[in-house]
Amino acid sequence: MRYDVIVIGGGHNGLTTAALLGKAGRKVLLLERRSVLGGLAALEEFHPGFRTPGVLHDTSGIRRGVADALRLEVHGLKWRAEEVPVFTPQEEGSGLLLYRSAERAGVEIRGHSPRDAERYAAWRGFIERIRPMVSRLQNEPAPALGAKSAGDWWDLARMGLAFKRLAPADLHDFLRIGPMCIADWLNEWFETQVLKAALAGPAIAGTWMGPWSAGTVVTLLLQECAAGREVEGGPAALTRALESACRSNGVEIRLSRPVRRIRLEGGRAKGVDFSDGGAEDAPVVVSSCDPRTTFLNLLDPMDLPSRLETEIGHWRCRGTTGRVSLALTGPLEFAARIGGRFEAARIGEKLDDLEKAFDAVKYGEFSTLPHLEVRVPTVSDPTLAPSGHHVVSILAHFAPYELRGGWDEGRRQAFGEVVVARLARFAPGLADRIVAAEVMTPADLEDRYGLCGGQIHHGEQGLDQLFSLRPASSCSRHGTPIPGLYLCGSGTHPGGGITCAPASLAAAAILRGR
Amino acid sequence: MGQRYDAIIIGGGHNGLVCAAYLARTGRRVLVLERRHVLGGAAVSEELHRGFKFSVFSYVVSLLRPEIIRDLELPRFGLQIIPLECAFTPLPDGDSLCRWSDPEQTRREIARFSKRDAEIYPAYGQAMMQMGRFAKSVLGMTPPDPASLGPSSLRDLLKLGRRFAGMSEEERVRKIIMFTMSAVDFLDQWFESDVLKATMSVSGIIGTFQGVRSPGTAYVLLHHYMGEIDGAFRSWGFSKGGTGQLSLAIAESARARGAEIRTETGVERILFENGGAGGVILENGEELRARVVVSSVDPHRTFLRFVGSERLDPDFVSAIRRYKLRGSSGKVNLALDRLPEFACRPGNGPHLRGDIAISPSIDYLERAYDEAKYGDYSRRPFLNVVIPSLCDPSVAPPGKHVMSIFVQYAPYHIKEGAAAWPSKREEFGDAVVDTLAEYSPNLKESILYRQVLTPWDIEEQTGLTEGNIFQGELSLEQLFFLRPAPGWARYRTPVRNLWMCGSATHPGGGIMGAPGANAARELLRARAI
Repeated sequence: MRYDVIVIGGGHNGLTTAALLGKAGRKVLLLERRSVLGGLAALEEFHPGFRTPGVLHDTSGIRRGVADALRLEVHGLKWRAEEVPVFTPQEEGSGLLLYRSAERAGVEIRGHSPRDAERYAAWRGFIERIRPMVSRLQNEPAPALGAKSAGDWWDLARMGLAFKRLAPADLHDFLRIGPMCIADWLNEWFETQVLKAALAGPAIAGTWMGPWSAGTVVTLLLQECAAGREVEGGPAALTRALESACRSNGVEIRLSRPVRRIRLEGGRAKGVDFSDGGAEDAPVVVSSCDPRTTFLNLLDPMDLPSRLETEIGHWRCRGTTGRVSLALTGPLEFAARIGGRFEAARIGEKLDDLEKAFDAVKYGEFSTLPHLEVRVPTVSDPTLAPSGHHVVSILAHFAPYELRGGWDEGRRQAFGEVVVARLARFAPGLADRIVAAEVMTPADLEDRYGLCGGQIHHGEQGLDQLFSLRPASSCSRHGTPIPGLYLCGSGTHPGGGITCAPASLAAAAILRGR
Repeated sequence: MGQRYDAIIIGGGHNGLVCAAYLARTGRRVLVLERRHVLGGAAVSEELHRGFKFSVFSYVVSLLRPEIIRDLELPRFGLQIIPLECAFTPLPDGDSLCRWSDPEQTRREIARFSKRDAEIYPAYGQAMMQMGRFAKSVLGMTPPDPASLGPSSLRDLLKLGRRFAGMSEEERVRKIIMFTMSAVDFLDQWFESDVLKATMSVSGIIGTFQGVRSPGTAYVLLHHYMGEIDGAFRSWGFSKGGTGQLSLAIAESARARGAEIRTETGVERILFENGGAGGVILENGEELRARVVVSSVDPHRTFLRFVGSERLDPDFVSAIRRYKLRGSSGKVNLALDRLPEFACRPGNGPHLRGDIAISPSIDYLERAYDEAKYGDYSRRPFLNVVIPSLCDPSVAPPGKHVMSIFVQYAPYHIKEGAAAWPSKREEFGDAVVDTLAEYSPNLKESILYRQVLTPWDIEEQTGLTEGNIFQGELSLEQLFFLRPAPGWARYRTPVRNLWMCGSATHPGGGIMGAPGANAARELLRARAI
């Protein structure tokens, strides 16, 4: 056999698994459906001369340990020296430029509330204290719910003991806030609306939840406790480094090679068949696609164990995120801070703004006052646009994949206009600077990136779809009930975002399994 | 200063009475103090209009633990439960859905909306029953504290662990998701018909300030499935003579065992002696002493009022302050000249002899929640209506009826501030009656008397802070070892000789009696008296 492992999908997780397995001496073939690598972390030109470094923006979740193991710095990855602060403009008021560093944020927050500036430092302190434990929960395999063997129980007991390392007050608080909604938790700490909105944004982005939905504290902690430095050049730079690491570890990469199905023989994964004919064999097949695509599209229904079929049928992956890319003749400038050049911004200055943005999707409508995650990558990397020009990438929450009446050209355009108008409310003059725009609905994200439901995390990150239940109890440790078939995408523990984390757990599971 | 009691129980609601009865049963000298002239707390019956007896707040019974009924011999003291026969959901399009106690009849009804759902429905009931069994075994236990594992905590934790170890992976998964999912997501896994899912999902929101799509509400769904009457699950019933009769039966049982009960005796403060609770000071200034004081009222009232925050550790005070009460429901009680007629099912049929829900669609329920989220009452609320006089003629004059309407959402904290509730009371009542009248056109002209209870009124009358009928939200962060505060879920309090026994302790609200019984057991086990 020519290959030990076939990896389906060349997004950042697929690339990471391939590189790690290649490094361990496995002969790896990586297959990408599109003509470019990277998935949601791909460099793409949306208008001549204007490029975005990925649909997703944030690279602070990249696991340092994985990058080091693959020596990504040798492959061109550069960590940014400075944290990228996020600006939340206000209609009235000077807005808030928020840093994770309590010291740097202190000055900004004090302008709104001296009490909150102090509280913020205390809040960060709490996050730092629970960080080791949360990191551990995220970077180790999820507990086995089917625990039978002594080893499984030992794993569980070790996990329990890790909890006990926290001071009792912190442990109580951690267990208490775990199932809470972010709005309640932030209300316990802070009084400044714009601060609470700025902190709550990441908790709901890409979910089917608003700040008043239980479980949003966890989605925030998973990000905050994993946050480190971002990388220069954004997600696309990670893709480039991973590609280079793959090649130097002997991984064969084939682009424009869509897989039609995963072939089984005697109940074991045996290889893949291509959509355009042809096939390759390998004793291990790893899918970085979302769980629905993997199990329901790439497997013959006859091959799927019926319990898994039910579980994956229940997998919720309702996309709620639209994406708008803008090419501008000049910088993005906010009325609240004339002259400010911010690389990252969030639109939504109150918790209720975020909640109202979410309300719309419950009724199958897109929000007319969406919550926006704005990134201006050209602030730090001017090469992405012609000189003097800028690129703005916007993730707009919330827009349902299943829009009542369905998406069409008119509705896509209407959605794009809503997003631009929402941003222009805080950045007057924006409309006049737009040279070109690309609007993607969740349905478009599904088409282009193969994301079932257009769900950017490969599955909603509710409490019941995380850890040992992501994507089902039989697959949360990256193996599946089908011998030889593994999962390494965002639909597995510890979930979505640019992290490399599920991929590295998957690679470890594969290497353990053989 | 008179005699000294073994235990003084603050509050004559059903939990306080249950606790008193269990303590009295062992020969302890127990005194129950009730502020109002009637016993029962939120489980009271009052004749508000001549000849009409209302179950003013709580209106149906099912969660009361059977062992409590047995131990306290409640039937002997007058408890009689009449089962509800049907769950009727009228729909705006002139159709309706009725679920009956007869499975075949129910199957035929559901099949009109979805054949598939009709086939699956019994299996769903079975699965919930199984889940309920597990949950029930947790109801009677004292929650272990995972952060400070003393010997008794460890024993309780191991007990729980063994139960979990005995389950299959599939069962474990089902239990975990039940605690974290929304009621709708959970029902989506079973059913396809929006009408069926909507009306079933309401059990997930009753008494909470959550929507049917809010994660965590699947658990509340189960909480309401744990009820049993004569061992049959999910059977709800009326207490004959009104819900207050149930409280009176418990009170009689307690008295028969020697407990002393005083009404119209409000407590002002806890009396401190040697740094611990030594009794209570009444509103009239009288001092009563006891070896322990057990509070069945909510933690805000207990600690911030009766104890005083200055006597408590600041961390504990902030834990109590952030304990979420936020009532979300109201009540409208009507005296009717004749039976209401529903346009979709005319006439006086058996469909009126049960639970009538205005819950026509998931979106309807969710919109009701959305309005409340931003500080308004729902203009088109979820209603749960019962007409107890149909099954229990003793509560109304011949030919007349009482109607009890539970309303959600009516948030305690409205935009204008809770104090504005009295000025909005009647318009709120109108919105409720208007909503119901859309389905029952003859309703308005048959109203002889109307009582509207906003959450503000519920607080005023019963003393439940913020009008929360469960003495605190049933959200995951306020359950089990976190109820009412982390580290204080074992019925003790940071104040020596002060204990808790109300719905704000594990396993929470509803006419269950378990908090009262559990607290009594812990008190005796600790040899506190």
